[in-house]
Amino acid sequence: MTKSYKFVDHTADIAAELTGSSLDELFVAGAEAWFVSIAGEIKIEDDDMLELELTAGSKEELLVTFLNELNYLLITKKWLYSSIQSIKIFDDSEGCELSAELKGTKLKDYHQLKHEIKSVTYHQVEIIEKNGDYSTLIVFDI
Amino acid sequence: MNVGEIELIKVRDNLWEIPATGKMKVPGRVYISRDMIEKGLKDDEALKQVVNVAHLPGIEKYSLAMPDIHWGYGFPIGGVAATNLDEGVISPGGVGYDINCGVRLATTNIEYERVKNRIDDLVSKLFQAVPTGVGASGAIKKLSTNDLKKVLTKGSVWALENDLGSSSDIDFTEESGTLKNADTEVVSKRAFERGADQVGTLGSGNHFLEIDVVEEIHDAKVAEVFGLFQGQIVIQIHTGSRGLGYQVCDDYLKVLLLASNKYGFKLPDKQLACAPINSKEGQDYLAAMQAAANFAWNNRQVIMYLAKKVFQNTFAMTESELGFKLLYDVCHNIAKIEKHKFGKEEKEVCVHRKGATRAFPPGSKLIPTKYQGVGQPVLIPGDMGRYSYILVGTDKAMEETFGSSCHGAGRNLSRTKALKSAKGRDLVGELKQKGIVIQAKGYKTIAEEMSDAYKDVSDVVDVMHKEGITRKIAKIKPVGVIKG
Repeated sequence: MTKSYKFVDHTADIAAELTGSSLDELFVAGAEAWFVSIAGEIKIEDDDMLELELTAGSKEELLVTFLNELNYLLITKKWLYSSIQSIKIFDDSEGCELSAELKGTKLKDYHQLKHEIKSVTYHQVEIIEKNGDYSTLIVFDI
Repeated sequence: MNVGEIELIKVRDNLWEIPATGKMKVPGRVYISRDMIEKGLKDDEALKQVVNVAHLPGIEKYSLAMPDIHWGYGFPIGGVAATNLDEGVISPGGVGYDINCGVRLATTNIEYERVKNRIDDLVSKLFQAVPTGVGASGAIKKLSTNDLKKVLTKGSVWALENDLGSSSDIDFTEESGTLKNADTEVVSKRAFERGADQVGTLGSGNHFLEIDVVEEIHDAKVAEVFGLFQGQIVIQIHTGSRGLGYQVCDDYLKVLLLASNKYGFKLPDKQLACAPINSKEGQDYLAAMQAAANFAWNNRQVIMYLAKKVFQNTFAMTESELGFKLLYDVCHNIAKIEKHKFGKEEKEVCVHRKGATRAFPPGSKLIPTKYQGVGQPVLIPGDMGRYSYILVGTDKAMEETFGSSCHGAGRNLSRTKALKSAKGRDLVGELKQKGIVIQAKGYKTIAEEMSDAYKDVSDVVDVMHKEGITRKIAKIKPVGVIKG
């Protein structure tokens, strides 16, 4: 299975099915779905770099925390991620950790954004592993 | 009748009960017509969510849903639940991300016929004065942490102290615009960061500022007390606590997920994460949520002030000529400690209203003196192309729904379907034909939020009216719309 996201119909908000052949890929698919929901299918600059270290009690919580971090960076730091340079997810009995390097840019007036995501929700997030492939649904509250 | 695995037993024409089965602590009760169940509830999880809410520790009487029920996170939108203060819980899933999302409506002395040629001008000036869209900011100067703390503690009283409102604005706001137990110490640094430059902004999604005309009066006596007359220009503002509230919800979902495990709660949905009201986690969330609610009241107050200035400047009118008085401000995403009757006794409970509006009856001490004889105004926005309603609360709401009513129309098309349906159409032109001027950040917002994407709000208010929970007082229709 290759990394991908597919938007599915949701009456009030935005929902996407994420897939990946590793947890790392699944998280990248989530970030891409988040970006397209916010900005559409546009290309933006990647003249800036940012490192992220996040922890959570489960991989589902880590995914929600990661995507909410992108939201936080956009709204308060006016920093929009464009691509993921590297990402590594550690999942063990003690909890989960993410370490990533993001490329992106400071938001500029000409960046036309489509939606404000209030938050990435925990609703129906369940990361399922089947034959080494990972998948989950993710819902963005707008 | 059955919807999927859920059995609905008819209690009255517009009231259906879901019997308590399995680990449900109380039955569910949904105020809705048979037709609305068949058209709107067959394909989603909203009724399942009514069942889920009935599992919450300490829930009293029923897990309730109003006729605008639809699929939410944790609670359904339109969900109401009261939990007792002994072993009961509080849940951010029963409030929502947009804490104290709500509506305020201001009346004016202006008749539409006198100003109908000026609506274009008004809309464009309002669009400039009130920032809209993704991460909208800068309506007033960015607040220092100290000032923002005052906003979170004082709510819309902060606006009054900063010459952005009048004392009567405070009198006509639910809770007088301030929940007293807000605590800024339990609000995260991130929430402060997200709120600092967003006071006085609408945001995006379904939030709006509307110029409306009173089209129909259903109850002349009450309408007169509310200061409404046919053909009158009124202003509606729908927004909430913006990024600050979303962040508080995010922060406390994490805290309460851990708390749910700690207290051994087995919940059917993570978004129902909760803690006993009397625990540290529960009290911290309550205090942070109240701070966010105060931010929201102040936000709507500042937007109203900005709109009033635009009206004054456009029409070159004095304050008394213009009118521009707050009829009422209600919140529809909140959890509040209130007194309710249980048989002959009265006790305090935590009423969660998630997409539901408080609807207190005549005589309630918690509504403005001016409305004591008639009941609390209940503001129900519809969609940008049709109409909205002004209702009034009743004794029956106190008896049956913990003093709660519906909150809006609810969507019937997803955003993707709305966009498809809008293809090739000139929506701005269509609205213009109906006498409605619209300005938004982008055409996509107009398409996603178009009238056809929403259910008919009159179906929703009719259920509440027929059941006697709230009564219709007036119907208003939009003539000018500002969207994010």
